[in-house]
Amino acid sequence: MSHVNTVAFTILVVSFLAVTLIGFAAARWRPAEDPMQLNEWGLGGRGFGTFVSWFLLGGDLYTAYTFIAVPALVYAVGAAGFYALSYTIVVWPIVFVFAPRLWSAARAHGYVTLAEFARGRHGSQGLGLAVALTGILATMPYIALQLVGIESVLTVMGIGARTGSAFVKDLPLIIAFIILAAYTYLAGLRAPALIAFVKDTLIYVTVIVAIIYIPPRLGGWGHIFGAASAHLKTVNPTTGKPSGSLIVTPSGEWAYATLALGSALALFMYPHAATGVFAARRRDVIRRNAALMPAYSLVLGLIALFGYMARATPAVNAGVKAGGGNSQLSVPLLFEHMFPSWFAGIGYSAIVIGALVPAAIMSIAAANLFTRSIYTEFFNPTATPAQETRVARLASLIMKVGALGFALELNKTFSINLQLLGGIWILQTFPAIVISLYKSWFHRFALITGWASGMVYGTIQAYRTPGGGQAHFGASTAPVFGHVTYIAITALVVNLVVAVVLTLIFRAIRLPNGYDVTRPAHYSADPVEGPAARAGTPGA
Amino acid sequence: MAQSAPPGRSPVTRVSVTVLLVVAIGGTLWVPIYARSMPKLGDFPFFYWYQLIWLPVVAILCWLCYILLRAPRHGRGVRK
Repeated sequence: MSHVNTVAFTILVVSFLAVTLIGFAAARWRPAEDPMQLNEWGLGGRGFGTFVSWFLLGGDLYTAYTFIAVPALVYAVGAAGFYALSYTIVVWPIVFVFAPRLWSAARAHGYVTLAEFARGRHGSQGLGLAVALTGILATMPYIALQLVGIESVLTVMGIGARTGSAFVKDLPLIIAFIILAAYTYLAGLRAPALIAFVKDTLIYVTVIVAIIYIPPRLGGWGHIFGAASAHLKTVNPTTGKPSGSLIVTPSGEWAYATLALGSALALFMYPHAATGVFAARRRDVIRRNAALMPAYSLVLGLIALFGYMARATPAVNAGVKAGGGNSQLSVPLLFEHMFPSWFAGIGYSAIVIGALVPAAIMSIAAANLFTRSIYTEFFNPTATPAQETRVARLASLIMKVGALGFALELNKTFSINLQLLGGIWILQTFPAIVISLYKSWFHRFALITGWASGMVYGTIQAYRTPGGGQAHFGASTAPVFGHVTYIAITALVVNLVVAVVLTLIFRAIRLPNGYDVTRPAHYSADPVEGPAARAGTPGA
Repeated sequence: MAQSAPPGRSPVTRVSVTVLLVVAIGGTLWVPIYARSMPKLGDFPFFYWYQLIWLPVVAILCWLCYILLRAPRHGRGVRK
């Protein structure tokens, strides 16, 4: 870490430049008749078939969290970190069930975001606003987490390590982000969709090479699991317990399952995931991709195993210790010590570009939310498509600056805490979206109150959970009636109970409900032609 | 979950799709069935290879459901 590795650095810079060119060129990919439509900038013209969608969804959903945070967790605690694999297995059959209905409803009404659906289905501006704010709030730290991922690569490469100036140290990150913001502004979703091809190729190449090349050099899988197991058994002096286990313990099973289920249910409530769904050309594209995306989850599973490989590499353990015990460095360090420097450069590029693609899509998705559910809904109901597109472009810039501020100004622990909270918060929109795809039974005010209860309960519970040397926000799980459970799931139960009870009460006292603009046929609609012309403001 | 199939499908199709998807979802959510180290596959404890094998299984199950739901293709125009 003492000197910058020139070869690896050159390869990273060249890949970044190549991706930048692609990003700008994307503005001319599948050109739109009228680019000043939010459908065009924000959803790439809703024209992506199975092939492009596969790359786009893979590039969108498997983020720096996959490449850095999951193996870091496995490195630190072992089997418990593998819930991420179970989560990315379970998510696809769940998506198979509800996402086609969501796609059809969005296509039938020209919705660009989930918030518009919640608003249209329940005839409630408040509910639309709640869903939009939750989405923006949860996305901001998620973008910041992508930056933290890029930072860990730069740290291991030794960039900015020897300068005392914080500004010079952060400069590469700032430059990278400005360039990303520029081509996202210009090309919208087309940019990350096209770059996703590069990202996914780099990731697959890196992972396949690593899984073939590294284990024999570490004495085989037997030795890797052995070394990991030996470490996990050592007792942590501060807690007096082993740091983890190679197999989930009986007491950890419930936490493992609820984390997997909660994360899977939450994933497609995130704005960037919904954007990936809405950008599909046909209803069938979603179902086909539910069957094809597990290939990417396999990559996640193999990357999770990098955590054990890192544990079996003494130089990585020394590097993590030197980095203040920051296990986020374990994968970049593994590449540094195991690969020749040119291939380490490829691996670093995979992580950096792998973080840029989701960061771009997240900022676009949050910008769409702001535009449709806040700007058009509350400030300019007669906004023209061109006005909307301009607002969305600006909002995507603001979103990125905000995330950069998050990552640079606030400390890292804080942004990771917020990311943890984001997962809890975003799941609270589940009843207003997924359940509402099937039944409009819930009363709009009951849904809002349920949402608020889940948000408040989840935030307080997360705040009160100590762990990892912190007094607050120490873990995403907390005991409920003796079972350690993912807080998001407990909060969702609170949310649902409140929503059901209040719906019964509100119906009994005949409190007026909102007007549902959707019709049963909209949920299985599969128009072959292009998107329905935008039918005025959502819900109009 | 039972509503995954659009209305108008035969009950057999709807039940099979539901069963396939429940199996796909339950396979890794039911942790006690695989939270063990034996039997090993090569050097891999059961916990790891079981989950990795579920990936192609889930992919196949989802593809089967897709085929089942797509079957009456010529009926698309009527279905709307």
